[in-house]
Amino acid sequence: MTVTVSASGLTLRYGATRALDDVSLRLTPGVTGLLGPNGAGKTTLLRVLATAVPADSGAFTVLGRDPGTARGRQEVRRALGYLPQTPGFHPDFTPFEFVDYVAILKELTDRAGRHREVRRVLAEVGLGEVRGKRIRKLSGGMRQRVALAAALVGDPGFLVLDEPTVGLDPEQRLRFRELIAEAGEGRTVLLSTHQTEDVAMLCHRVLVMADGRIRFDGTPAELAARAAGRVWSSTARDAGAKAGWRTGTGAFRNVGDPPEGADLLEPTLEDGYLLALDDEHAEVTA
Amino acid sequence: MTATRTERTAPVAVSTGTRNGRAAVVALAGFEARRLLLRLPVLLALAGHVTWIVWRTLRPADDFPVLQDADRATQSGPLFVGLAVMLCANQAALRSLRRDTERHFAVTSLTLWRRTAAHVLSVVPLALLTAVAVTAQFTWEAAKPGAVGRGSVAELLAGPLTVLLFGTAGVLLARLNSSAVAGPLLVVAFLLLFVGSASQSGGQDTGPVWLWPVVVTSGVHPFPSDLLGRPAGWHALYLAGLALTVALLAVLVSGGRTRTVQAALAGALALAALGGVMQTGGIPAATDTARSRASLAPEQDQTCVRRGASHYCAFPEWTPRVEDWARIADRVQGLAGGAAHDRPLLVRQRLEARYGLSDDAALDPATRPDQVTVGTSWGGDRVPEFSTAVAGVLVAGNERRAGELCDGRMVPLMWLSLAWQRDPESALRHVRLDDSVTGSALVLSGTEPLTMTAGQTKVVRALLHRPLADVGARVKAHWDELTAPGVTTARAAELLGVRVSVGGDRCTG
Repeated sequence: MTVTVSASGLTLRYGATRALDDVSLRLTPGVTGLLGPNGAGKTTLLRVLATAVPADSGAFTVLGRDPGTARGRQEVRRALGYLPQTPGFHPDFTPFEFVDYVAILKELTDRAGRHREVRRVLAEVGLGEVRGKRIRKLSGGMRQRVALAAALVGDPGFLVLDEPTVGLDPEQRLRFRELIAEAGEGRTVLLSTHQTEDVAMLCHRVLVMADGRIRFDGTPAELAARAAGRVWSSTARDAGAKAGWRTGTGAFRNVGDPPEGADLLEPTLEDGYLLALDDEHAEVTA
Repeated sequence: MTATRTERTAPVAVSTGTRNGRAAVVALAGFEARRLLLRLPVLLALAGHVTWIVWRTLRPADDFPVLQDADRATQSGPLFVGLAVMLCANQAALRSLRRDTERHFAVTSLTLWRRTAAHVLSVVPLALLTAVAVTAQFTWEAAKPGAVGRGSVAELLAGPLTVLLFGTAGVLLARLNSSAVAGPLLVVAFLLLFVGSASQSGGQDTGPVWLWPVVVTSGVHPFPSDLLGRPAGWHALYLAGLALTVALLAVLVSGGRTRTVQAALAGALALAALGGVMQTGGIPAATDTARSRASLAPEQDQTCVRRGASHYCAFPEWTPRVEDWARIADRVQGLAGGAAHDRPLLVRQRLEARYGLSDDAALDPATRPDQVTVGTSWGGDRVPEFSTAVAGVLVAGNERRAGELCDGRMVPLMWLSLAWQRDPESALRHVRLDDSVTGSALVLSGTEPLTMTAGQTKVVRALLHRPLADVGARVKAHWDELTAPGVTTARAAELLGVRVSVGGDRCTG
């Protein structure tokens, strides 16, 4: 499959903290999930790839363009759609005005064509009916969709979504999932999230980050498979488990290194993620 | 909870054409300009400006505008539009920071300095709109039948350029200080500075005062264009240079450190410096000389025309007004009796220009027989004032003697001055300094004021309520006695058939 985003050796320090530590990755069309705990470096990685901040070292290309030069950075930005974490809005703008504004910032200058494009993306995220309403009057979920429309306008080849489903209720999250899946058709989407279900439902690949490093790079199935034979059931929390919790049945689900003869369970993506975080060394399978 | 999922086909992306940074800056400027135009402070300022223009231009006192003053009068209104634009342009430039959209916008292809350039450009339509308002105001004045003189494009440019300067200053401030209160504070500071400078400059029209955007120096007496001595052209260059400098500085501090921007900034600074230095040089010596000549020997610069037996001498720009003066002089003279009825008058326009535009020193009364002074203002109180001056010369022989009148001659003088007017009593009120119609009062004149006693006022008012023809016949019949030095007010009243208690005259105590 075509590699659309390629990075090698990305390192970025904030004082003594290594926010990114020698990160290398290759993205292909479709939705790639980026999982990791708070402070893992997910947002920093997205901001570097979105050209918001330069890395201290390392290099990357987006759709064959090198953002290391001013011209290359400009070209990357023209191909980029970005939805930042908890995006801001101009409350006295309408969704149409806000997305139109972003479209101008993306250098869509033909007024008639731009307006058609704005209407298209607003329809795509299901905001066609409220495009003339002030953003301040929209619900949180609708505002998030405005931000997604702003990211999608101009048909970017590379879409960076930083925790787009945070704060949404389950229904809104499902709706957003659908939109992201649609957005991932034919373009490269990098989706940062805490929600393993989102990754399981949407992503053809998943990256797990911790401490500024990529701990896992593979398919969701491969991440889940990492936990094969390492999830078991017991009547009490197993002292040797790296994580364990009581389930609805009253039994404990343990993740880690099981004792001999343990009652092994089918692993999930979340089990694999927990183990990937705990591993000392990154395991890159892709 | 269940989510409703609908089967939809993702719409196909619309072709949006080639992407172009410069065109995007222009498109963004248009977007921001539309929003700027719809902001409440800007709308209020524009509405206020238009209202002020309409109110000012419709005033009866403004029926006879002098266009070299009317152009200057367009400059104050735009100050408030400029301050509103400054505030709103500042808020617009800060919007992405205040609303936390900068994280998103910073990774779009339109970089911050280009967005700043768009904000700066968004002010231009407001400046153009101000230019339209200013042009409309001036055109309206120029179209009035009583308009004389000629305006200056440079003076008309000051208002729109001030709006441009203030708007760009708002953008620059946003790039230097991201605080939301900095803009409003700057507006308040400017307001205080304007008030302070207006009270401190005392109408000064030379030197550093020209570093302010608007130098109105409103004088009582309009000057001929050649005597204005206002460096309006240099000031317009200064304002344009300053606006450009501020705009380019805003772009520069936003990261637009291209050679083109740097070179343009140097050019703009040079323009501002050139205009700034040249405008503060003071009044040119030639203008000073011309002002002295116009004050002391106006005949050297004036054009004289004959109407009937009288001559009317005016500075060239005022010759269209001769007909108004002649019409009034004829009406007054038509009511006079004796030799005064046909006496050739010399109506000369006079002006004290030696002490600058803002000086309102009174003119010395003329001592030459039959010379009547008329000023450079017209309309409103200036009409009965001129009528009084004509009557004064007809009754007393010259202006100086008219100014010294203290006896009953004031009665025929004031009757001549007022009787022909459409509303004589209202004219009496307007020509008296305290706008009274009873008691004693000073009477306005183009030179030295006259004085009416309470008794004279009573007699004149009584005469004004009688038929014009009846009183006119008595005036003509007793002209010699009525205008003889020493005639008492009581005797004048008696001759004119008025029975009121008048008391003693000023001369007689």
